[in-house]
Amino acid sequence: MSAIKVVILVCISVLIFFLTLFLGPAVINPFNLTPMEKEILLSIRLPRAVVAALMGMALGASGTVLQGILKNPLADPYILGISGGAALAASFGMVSGAYLFGAFSIPLTAFIGAVAVSVLVGAFGWKHGRLLPERLLLAGIGLGFLFSAGLMLLISVSSHEGSRRAMLWIFGDLSSADWSLIPFGLAFIATGIFISASRAKALNALMLGDEFAHSLGFSVHRERLFLFAAVSLMTAASVSLGGTIGFIGLLIPHIVRFFTGGDNRILIPVSALCGGAFLCFADMIGRSVLSPMEIPSGIITAIIGAPYFLYLLRRKDVLGS
Amino acid sequence: MSSDHKQTILELNNVGFGYDRSKPFIDHLSFSIGDGEYIGLLGANGSGKSTLLRLASGILKPTEGSITLWGKHLPSYNNKDRAKLLSYLPQMLDVNVPFTVREIVSMGLYPYDIPPEMKIDEALEIVGLKEKAASSLATLSGGEKRRAFIAMTLLQGAGLLLLDEPLANLDIKYRIEIQRLLKKLQETKNISIIMALHDINAAFHFEKVMLIKDGSILGIGKPEEVLTAALLKEAFDVPVELQKTSSGGTYIRYEM
Repeated sequence: MSAIKVVILVCISVLIFFLTLFLGPAVINPFNLTPMEKEILLSIRLPRAVVAALMGMALGASGTVLQGILKNPLADPYILGISGGAALAASFGMVSGAYLFGAFSIPLTAFIGAVAVSVLVGAFGWKHGRLLPERLLLAGIGLGFLFSAGLMLLISVSSHEGSRRAMLWIFGDLSSADWSLIPFGLAFIATGIFISASRAKALNALMLGDEFAHSLGFSVHRERLFLFAAVSLMTAASVSLGGTIGFIGLLIPHIVRFFTGGDNRILIPVSALCGGAFLCFADMIGRSVLSPMEIPSGIITAIIGAPYFLYLLRRKDVLGS
Repeated sequence: MSSDHKQTILELNNVGFGYDRSKPFIDHLSFSIGDGEYIGLLGANGSGKSTLLRLASGILKPTEGSITLWGKHLPSYNNKDRAKLLSYLPQMLDVNVPFTVREIVSMGLYPYDIPPEMKIDEALEIVGLKEKAASSLATLSGGEKRRAFIAMTLLQGAGLLLLDEPLANLDIKYRIEIQRLLKKLQETKNISIIMALHDINAAFHFEKVMLIKDGSILGIGKPEEVLTAALLKEAFDVPVELQKTSSGGTYIRYEM
């Protein structure tokens, strides 16, 4: 029964979120908190777990939506070049040392970069008054190559410290997470997930094809535009919160689909929850195994997630084919 | 060319359309379908069958002329209201989606805020897929896939079905199965159907056929009046011979 599986997945996700608060380099007993532990919990671990959860939720949901609108199982939120643009903008800020807005500098530059690229990709993907998936995908890939070349050029000519910071950020760096960014991230990501979930029926229909979606009473081009805007918003917010984290956006939707089936009305919220829980878990591992050194979460998500995905791939049908 | 006795559901009036602005692909085409009619749309590859169905369903906008559904200008309907009256099934050659049969069929409810009378199980029962409801669409045969989508349109409750080659790439068993199912729907639920098809022999089973070439109508009427050797040669650009079976049916023959 997929309903039971969904409930189990949701419970596990919530449990993981709370567990990661208390586990880590130092285990905290929630029933016997010292003032020091309380401080660590509220000022360091909780905001970090919330940022990880928000980022993971954004990536899980936007990966699901993007695979649907592009009708491509290999699509992930970064394929449209949005993260590449954000990374280039943020890295430029980091290596040039231009911290104009204090702690907000990097997230702000990343967000501006991501939104600018979304608009650019959208403009390239736009023809005959509509957003065409194939053009969108190709424009994203083309721009992505351009941005990664720009990024590599920037890193290769920058100082050692600047390029190290940029590299860490590119692989997902949650070490500077604090409460200050959470309201902004929450607002954008919650809006994106709400738009996506409320248009899940349209996404189901679009997966059958534009003509089916039209026949079922949807305005194909308007729905696709809304969904693209939701993906852009979530990806931009996620990248600005803590850099680019691979794997979640691409494979969490597939893993969740194994359990829940393909209906986006269930898949979008459950992928969001599982993505959030998975990133919390990966972050907890990343800060524990080589403590006090931290391994970027993006590396952990791939190391844990990819073998599990390959295991599922061997055992079950992927994409129902 | 409108139906004489039956109430007109869909009417194309002097419709023109071109993918390329300089030359029209559909040229001043007019026809109508009456309540409960079952029309076979026949023509060579590239004759405009799919384009005609896309125009009739509102996917493509005519550059000239007008299309009315139940007497009202087609573009003036909002999307959901139109979907309750008219359903279009495109050619299904590469539908590969991670949905179960039940999920596909239930999409027929999408245009509705308040679910209509028909239940998902009833639609599955009619097309004979109740046992396969939980199966993934990808595991179905070509004929079953099409039956699943026909069940979706049944649930959608539209009185007019526009079907683009639902018999394509099916072997004879499934072709007969789909044709019988559609005929049953027309008779029991009074659903009007326009179906594009390639098989001339299958077209003889329709009560009305429309033969088109280069976006214009060569003939419309009873199969024996329209599917003549002369008109078929003109439509398909190849000579064919019509033969009668002992039971009075007609079929085509050709020399190799």
